[in-house]
Amino acid sequence: MTGEKIVKIEPVTRLEGHGDITIKIGKDGKVKDAQFNVTSTRFFEKFLEGRFAEEAPKLASRICGICPEPHHLAAVRAVEAAWDVTPPASAVKLRRLLINAKQFSSHALHFFALAAPDFLVGPFGDPGKRNLVTITKALPDVSKMALQMMQFGQELAAAIGGTAIHPVTAIPGGMLNPFSEEKRDQFLKRVTDVKQWTSDTVSLAKKIMDDYMDAITKLAVGPTYYIGTHNEGALEIYDGNIRIMDPDGGIVEDIKPKDYRKYFAEYVPEHSYATHVYYKPVGYPAGVWRAGSLARINVVDRMATPLAQEALQELRAKLGRPIHATFAYHWARIVELVQAIEEIEGLLNDSQIVSKDVKILDVKPKKGDGVGCVEAPRGTLIHHYWTDERGIITKANMIVATNNNIGGIEKSLMEVAKQVFEQKAHQKLKLPKPMIS
Amino acid sequence: MTKRIAMAQLTSCWGCDQSLLDLHLGLLELLPELEIVYWPAVVDFKLKDLESMPDESIHIGLVEGSCRTEDDVRLLNIMRAKSKILVAWGVCSCYGGIHGLANQWDLDELVDRKFMKADTVTDPRLPSENVPPFVSNVQPNVDVVDFNIMLPGCPPTSKNTIEALSAILSGKPFDLPEKSVCDQCPKVKQDKHITKFHRTHEGRIDPNKCLLDQGYLCLGFATIGFCGAICPTVNSPCKGCFGPVLRVKDHGAKIISALGAIAEMTPEELKDSFPDPIGSFYFTDYAASYLSRMRNKARSKRK
Repeated sequence: MTGEKIVKIEPVTRLEGHGDITIKIGKDGKVKDAQFNVTSTRFFEKFLEGRFAEEAPKLASRICGICPEPHHLAAVRAVEAAWDVTPPASAVKLRRLLINAKQFSSHALHFFALAAPDFLVGPFGDPGKRNLVTITKALPDVSKMALQMMQFGQELAAAIGGTAIHPVTAIPGGMLNPFSEEKRDQFLKRVTDVKQWTSDTVSLAKKIMDDYMDAITKLAVGPTYYIGTHNEGALEIYDGNIRIMDPDGGIVEDIKPKDYRKYFAEYVPEHSYATHVYYKPVGYPAGVWRAGSLARINVVDRMATPLAQEALQELRAKLGRPIHATFAYHWARIVELVQAIEEIEGLLNDSQIVSKDVKILDVKPKKGDGVGCVEAPRGTLIHHYWTDERGIITKANMIVATNNNIGGIEKSLMEVAKQVFEQKAHQKLKLPKPMIS
Repeated sequence: MTKRIAMAQLTSCWGCDQSLLDLHLGLLELLPELEIVYWPAVVDFKLKDLESMPDESIHIGLVEGSCRTEDDVRLLNIMRAKSKILVAWGVCSCYGGIHGLANQWDLDELVDRKFMKADTVTDPRLPSENVPPFVSNVQPNVDVVDFNIMLPGCPPTSKNTIEALSAILSGKPFDLPEKSVCDQCPKVKQDKHITKFHRTHEGRIDPNKCLLDQGYLCLGFATIGFCGAICPTVNSPCKGCFGPVLRVKDHGAKIISALGAIAEMTPEELKDSFPDPIGSFYFTDYAASYLSRMRNKARSKRK
C-alpha cells in the first residue's frame, strides 16, 4: 500500500453554487473522510439588516439566480407575517403560479442540462463530452423539447414577476402588477404542447431509470431523515405545514413553519461555509435530513394533482416509501414536474388569476418578527425577519434549501466513496449501453 | 471557425448563467459557434484544465460574480491571463453586486453574525479546512484586473448577453447605451411636484404614470437604460440594479444630488424619508461607491 491519498474534485460541475469535494483515503485503502466543501458565502443575514423590509423580496431573490422566485416569495411572506398583513386571494394565486412556473423550468433544467448527460453519455463517458452541448448535437429533438419546456416556465415566471431573474412584483399586501387576460390566453394556448412534452419526459425518465435500476438501487442508498411541505397530506410548495420523516419512514413531526427553531438546527462544519441543517431533537449527525424532490415525495401521502399522483404511484410501486436511493431524486423531480404543469394549467384556468385587484391598500409596518416558508426546487426554504416599528429589518435568519441538503449529500458521498474506492462497486454495476457514444 | 469561450463564477448567485441559458432555442444557434473550454455550471472541465491552458488561449472570457474569497481572486487572475477578451459579466463583476452591501461592516462582524450568532447555529466556529479565507471587503472586479468589456445587469438580460457575444464574435465594437431606464420606460412623465416619498407597499400605484412623479423612489433617471425598463413597466420602482448611466462614477451620489433638485422638500425631510440611504441608493453597487472605498481605506489603515 502507498501513502495516504486525497482525491479532490475542484470544482464540482453541473451544479449551481460553489463547491469542491475532498475525499481522504488512508494507507489501508479505507475512506477516512468525504467532504463537500462549499467555498464561499455572501453574508445576506448581515446585510439585510437596516434595509426597508418591503424591499427584502428584491434583495433576497439575489441569493439564488436559478431559484429566485422561492426566495422572493419566502421573503414577502416573512414580512407579511411580521407586519400581520394578509394579501388578497388573487395575489396568492399569482404567487402560486409564479412558484410553479419556476418549479417547472428548474426541474426541466436540472433533469436535462445537469443530470441527463450522466445517463445519456454514461457515467464512464468522456468528461469533455458529458454535457448539454453534446445532447443538443446527438439528440436534437430531445434538446429542442427540453429547451422549450424551460422557456415556457421562465417566460411564465417573467410574465408574473416582471423578469424571471430576479422577480420584482411581490410586495407586502399582494402583487404590484396584475396578470392580463391577453397574456393568460397566450400561455393557456401553449399548455397543451407543454403537457405533451412533460408526458414525453416522464416516459424518457422512466426508461432511463429502468436502464439504470442497478445503479439506483445499489449506489448511495443510505437512510436519512426527510423534510418537506404538505397541505392535508398532499405535496405543496407555497404554503403548508412541514413534515419530518424519520429514516424508517415514520412521520415524527408535523409542524407550523413559524415554530421551526424548535426542530431545525445548524451545524457549522470545519470544512464548509454552508452549514448542515439537522433535526434538532436527535442531534448531529444522527438527525441529518434531506430536502427537495425525493424528500417531499417521501413525506407526503399523495400528490396534489391527478397525473402527478399516477406518476408517484408508479415510482412507489418500483421503489417503495420511503425511498433512500439518492439517484431516485431524478425520478422524484419528474413526478413534481408533472404536478407543476397541472397546477399551472389549473391556475391559468382560474378566473381570479386575471383579477385587477391584487394588492390591499392598507399595509402598515410594525415591530415584530415573521417567518416565511416555501419549497424551492431543491428543498424547504425559510426566511425569518425581525423588523422595528418603521418596518426596517433589525435581524434576519435564513435556512436555505442547500443547507437542508448538505449533511445528506455528504452522507451519500461517504457511502459512494466507500463503494467506489474500497469495494470497486462501480465496476460491478449492470449499466446500459449509453444512448450517446 | 469556432471561438474558445470560458465562463467563470466568482462569488455570485449564478443568475448570469441562467440568463445565458434563457436564450433557449437561441442556444442552438449560438453553441455551434463556440468551443466551451470552461463553464462549471454546464460542462465538466475542472480548474486544473483551465490553469493548464496557455495564456491568451481563450478568445472570450466571461467573469460573473465578485471576489469574496482568496480563491475568487485567484480565479479572476487566471481568467485575465488566459483570455484575450475579458468581459465583466453582470453587475457583481462591474460594480461588486448586491453583496457589496456587506462592506458596511468589518469582516469580523459578518463572520460573527453568520457562523457564531445565527439563531439556529448550535456549533459556532469559523470553518477553516479546505475553504479559502475571506477577503476583507468586496471590490468591483474592474478594480482588480483590466477588463475589455463591461456588461452590467442583475443579471444582464439574455438579449444583452447575446448582443455582446455577437459583437465580439463578428469582431465589431460593443458599446453600452447612452440612455437611461427612463428613456426606455413606457410610463407617462409629467411635471414633478414631489412633496413626499412613498414606500413601495404604500397606496396604489397608477400603472400609467411615471412612478417617480407619483412619489415612489424609482431610480430609472440615474440608471443605465440597458434592461428595457423591466421593473417600472410592471409597477415596481427601478432599484438601479444595472448600475449608473454612462460616465457616472458614483451611482448613489448622482441620485442624492438629483433628488435634492427634483423633490420639493427640505434636506431634513429628504433625510427622514430615507433612513437607509445605502440600501436605497446603492442596491448593487455600494462596493464601487466613494463611501465604501473610503471605509475600506480606513479599515486597512486600522490594521
